Amino acid sequence: MSLRPSSNLALSSPWLITFVLFWLFPLVYSLVMGFTDYQLLARSYNWIGWDNYRELFIDPDFLAALKNTFVFVLGTIPVTTVVALLLALMVSRRFRGRSFFRAGYFLPSVTSMVVIALIFTNLYQRGGYVALLTELVGLTPPEHGFLYDSSTALLSIMAMDVWMSVGYYMLIFLAGLKAIPEELYEAAELAGAGRWRRFWSITLPLLRPVALFIVVINTIKSFQVFVEIFVMTRGKFDTATVVYFVYEQGLQTQFRFGYASAASYLLFVIIAVFSIIQMILLRRRQSVW
Amino acid sequence: MFKNVCLIIFCFLILSASAQAVTIEWWQFWTDPGVKPTVEAIVDEFEQANPDINVKLTDLTWANGHEKIVVALASGRGPDVLELGSDWIAQFAESGHLLDLSDYLAKDSSEFHGYGMAAYKGKLYARPWILGTRVLFCNRSLMIRAGYDSIFAPVTMDQLKEAANKVHALGDDIYGWGSNTAEKHRLYKKFLPFFWSYDARLFSDDNKLCLLASNASVQALNRYKELHDSCGYVANQRGIEDAFLDGKIGFIISGDWLLKRIEKEKRDIDFVTTLIPGLKFPGRSFLGGEFLAINSATKNKDAALKLIDFITLPENQVRFCKANRSANPSSKAAQEDEYFKSNSHLQTFIKQMSMVKHPPVDPDWVNIESIIEEAVEDALFGSGLPAQALYEARLKIEALKKK
Repeated sequence: MSLRPSSNLALSSPWLITFVLFWLFPLVYSLVMGFTDYQLLARSYNWIGWDNYRELFIDPDFLAALKNTFVFVLGTIPVTTVVALLLALMVSRRFRGRSFFRAGYFLPSVTSMVVIALIFTNLYQRGGYVALLTELVGLTPPEHGFLYDSSTALLSIMAMDVWMSVGYYMLIFLAGLKAIPEELYEAAELAGAGRWRRFWSITLPLLRPVALFIVVINTIKSFQVFVEIFVMTRGKFDTATVVYFVYEQGLQTQFRFGYASAASYLLFVIIAVFSIIQMILLRRRQSVW
Repeated sequence: MFKNVCLIIFCFLILSASAQAVTIEWWQFWTDPGVKPTVEAIVDEFEQANPDINVKLTDLTWANGHEKIVVALASGRGPDVLELGSDWIAQFAESGHLLDLSDYLAKDSSEFHGYGMAAYKGKLYARPWILGTRVLFCNRSLMIRAGYDSIFAPVTMDQLKEAANKVHALGDDIYGWGSNTAEKHRLYKKFLPFFWSYDARLFSDDNKLCLLASNASVQALNRYKELHDSCGYVANQRGIEDAFLDGKIGFIISGDWLLKRIEKEKRDIDFVTTLIPGLKFPGRSFLGGEFLAINSATKNKDAALKLIDFITLPENQVRFCKANRSANPSSKAAQEDEYFKSNSHLQTFIKQMSMVKHPPVDPDWVNIESIIEEAVEDALFGSGLPAQALYEARLKIEALKKK
């Protein structure tokens, strides 16, 4: 028995209404707002075309936030991906206490970002554990703490982010490793392939879809970094990112919703371009592998 | 039959009375369990005294209260009565979301401190409620160890610098001065007392010229930086207060909340409070506070005014201050209460009130304070020289004003 088109529409209407009201409308509305000088407290607003976008490209605060965001993305993604893969390879082997390590690495991913950020704020402060460790290896920690110095603040947050997210991506790699048929390794071994050769010729190529997924979602997530910045530095010491800039412009200073919307859509375009490039590059590499 | 008629009349009276009662909404920030019951009790008493008015109390937090107010006012709704921080009044007055209360408030303006912060473009928009200033907290034990008399407290900036450095010389883990890190909305409140104590000014009288890069301003920032560099313990406000209470810092600038904390946590610390030091005499401190304003969209102006009058009565301000350990009620009559006179620390805060300045009442103040904080950060933590940092800040403020 097949349902009539009107019944289909009726059945899907709860989702459809929610989607239109709470997703589609705000998305389109904010896109339109990006072309206006809309301020939350103003009684009226005007259509200003591309002015917000033009202003963004000469706004030193936005450009600094964009630079910090790129540093964050380009600094964390390769490290997170490689470390997650190494951990996945390590915990995929059979050894005593394997479950403990798997759970241990994954635990930060299910902990509140705010809680972790507050703990790391303490670890990074003057006289904190990180400063003591730095002194132990013969280096001089920043005088007032890692988060109060422009040369170390963003790096410190990036390190925390890698520590926090690596367990989640390890788990995804682990699922990818489990999906590789054992027969391939056995056949390669019979053909005389060593461990390194098996890794390069079997593991890495077959993990490509998983790696692509990880790199793309991590890119999207990293471009949207906000909570860590908000909790740990409030954008001070050269740590403001694009999303923090949007928050500042939209909800903290002049409530410039139009300008903040334009910045959000610019970020959206950057993320989309990056994701497409990554997908193309990783697909090409598959043909090489 | 008679009983039924009486019952009907009684019900009619009840219904008509309730129909006449108006409900007004008040958004306020006092959620501390030690303070909220007092606020509720004041509201209850107001309702008893005004049976035709019901008050709906809504709590806000400092974390997102400002955002909530902005969104509510922008949507054309919002409460009838708002508790506002002094920095926000100009912004909401400029956008037309606050009722002009000049006619009503002007008549008793001499009975309250702080009206200057509620005046924007010649009109009054709010009544001061609880004010806040900053004073110098000194660790007496450390001062005695550093060779000072038990009655010593620095009066001038030079004395402060000398004493802070002597305290710092007591040990590697002892600091002379609590230096705020780049903490939004806080750093400028620590720098401005220095700025004003050096007789520096932010703007010219006609508000057209920014004077942030004057000689006096540079001297003030130089002195602030000297303390920071030579003997500063750098942390956020909470961290500085923690270290002060742990006996690690000689001198910090703080507010009356620290007195409350010392009492609440039963801290065993020998300290004195004194006026912010100046060049030759005590200097000027920062003044801010909580204000009560009325939403311009209210339909219950009279009821809202009655509520504001009641909350700001001297006796209710004293009750509130006792609950919150606040030192600075806006009511001049309330300041004469024995509660304030019997406590030397509260007296310091009240004396400081006669030597205070508040930031300009300017809708752009949130941006201006941010620019000032960036300049101070640059001088303290970056590579910028104080003069250069202040000059660049001046250019930014002028560009902002031109917009």
